[in-house]
Order: sequence, then C-alpha cells, then structure tokens
Amino acid sequence: MSLSSKSAQEISELLDEYGIKHGPVVDSTRSLYEKKLKEAMAKEKRAKPSPDKTYYREEEEQVTYVYKTPVRSDSSGDSGAYMRARPEWAEREYEHETSNSRYSRSRPEYKGRDFVDEPYMYDSPDTYKHSYLKSAAPMKSSESAPKAAKSSPLIPLWVQFVFFLAMAVFLYLVFTNMETNESLKGIE
Amino acid sequence: MSTTSQKHRDFVGEPMGDKPVTALSGIGDTLGRKLEEQGFDKASVVLGQFLLLKKDTDMFSDWLKDASGANSRQADSCAQCLREWCDAFL
Repeated sequence: MSLSSKSAQEISELLDEYGIKHGPVVDSTRSLYEKKLKEAMAKEKRAKPSPDKTYYREEEEQVTYVYKTPVRSDSSGDSGAYMRARPEWAEREYEHETSNSRYSRSRPEYKGRDFVDEPYMYDSPDTYKHSYLKSAAPMKSSESAPKAAKSSPLIPLWVQFVFFLAMAVFLYLVFTNMETNESLKGIE
Repeated sequence: MSTTSQKHRDFVGEPMGDKPVTALSGIGDTLGRKLEEQGFDKASVVLGQFLLLKKDTDMFSDWLKDASGANSRQADSCAQCLREWCDAFL
C-alpha cells in the first residue's frame, strides 16, 4: 500500500484523484509527487472531522428551538399552524382513549388497534414540533440571529484568526524580501 | 516578488547556454555543490526539472528544498528566475 511500491502510472492516477497538477512521473519527480500525495492524504484525513462539527452545531440550534417550544406555546397560541397542530394532537389522544375503551370490550380488537395507534402516539409530538417550527421560523430567524452573535464568539474568532494569518503571511513576505538582497550579494 | 537581484537579472537577460548551476539566482556554492552531486551540474538540467514539473513554481520550490536543502527564499528565487527565463526564451 506504500506509495513507493506503486507504478508511475498509479502515482499519476492518484495525483489526478487528489487534484494535484503534475507532469510526468519520472525518477527525478517521483519523490516530490509522493511527498505531495502524502500531504494530500493527511489533509483529507484531518478534514473529515470538520463537517461533523458543523453538523453538530446545526443540531444544537435545533435543540434550542425545541426547548423553547413550551415557553412559546402560551404566547404564540394565535399562530395558525400551531392551532392546526393542536386539535390534531388532541384528536389522536381521543382516538387512543377510545381504543382503550374498546380494549375493555374485546381484547383481539384492541391488539389490532394498538398497531395502528402506536405510530400515532410517537408521531404526534413530532408533527406538533414540526408544524410549530414552520409557523415560528419567520419570527425566530430575526430573534436567533442576534442571539447567535452574542452567545457564540465563533464567527468573530474565525475572522480574527484569518486576519492574523493574513498579517503573518504579509510580514513573512516582507521578511523574505528583505533577506533576498542581503544574502544574494553574499553569493555573488 | 518585486525585488530582484543582479544575479537574477543577469540570468534572465540572456540564453543560459552551458552556464553552471550556480548561475541560477538563489543557488550559491553550497547548494550548487549539492545539486551537482545529484547530477544537476548545469543550469539547463535544473531547467529540465522545472519543465518536468510543468513550470509550477511552487512544486519546483518544494523539489529544490528537498533536493538541495535550500530555504524557501532561495528556492523561490530560483523558481522565479527560471520562470522568467522561460517567459523570455521558450
């Protein structure tokens, strides 16, 4: 599996795969390309956790929406979707109650109902949340934006980091330019 | 980079002919000796390597650093010098 045992053709294909521009893989260029491939492979491994991170962050946001639900349910009771969702939920509970009463009458019938009823039971909180989220989304978006800015310093930190890098690169360029003339005079 | 050395201008100003590897900007005696040990005795042989890497200055810099132990500044200087020579004479 090591790169050095691969043929020039395989190295060339791998370079294409990783999007590294390259010329012919010959003796004098091979070690350089192997090094570049190793770097690209290492980078890809390190890059993998980062999409997961953003995914978790999205999940966190969703969790905050859900937590807010009970608080908001009192104040935003006039929202249409919420109103629509609530009777549905109540209806299902009622259905479940009727099935319970049927259970007292005949056991097999209850068993049949139970299979139908169970998905309803698990389903109802979900639809309740979803319809609420849909109705509250336009209002929430304005609320959550300043909240995110206040509570998570992620975006400013990121900008700061990029700015710092840019400064470092700039200073490095200045530094290399300064040295170029000095030592080349020494060489000449 | 904006500043260029006299050596750079001398090299870029004319065909390289059979100039030694040390005629390249950024390649002094020490680096020149290391390159000669690996068979890169003429500037044109180093040009050959530069062309094999498709005139990619970053790739060439990395190769030169590996092959001769040049620092980034020396490698970039040599790569830029070869690129400009190619722009003028190829």
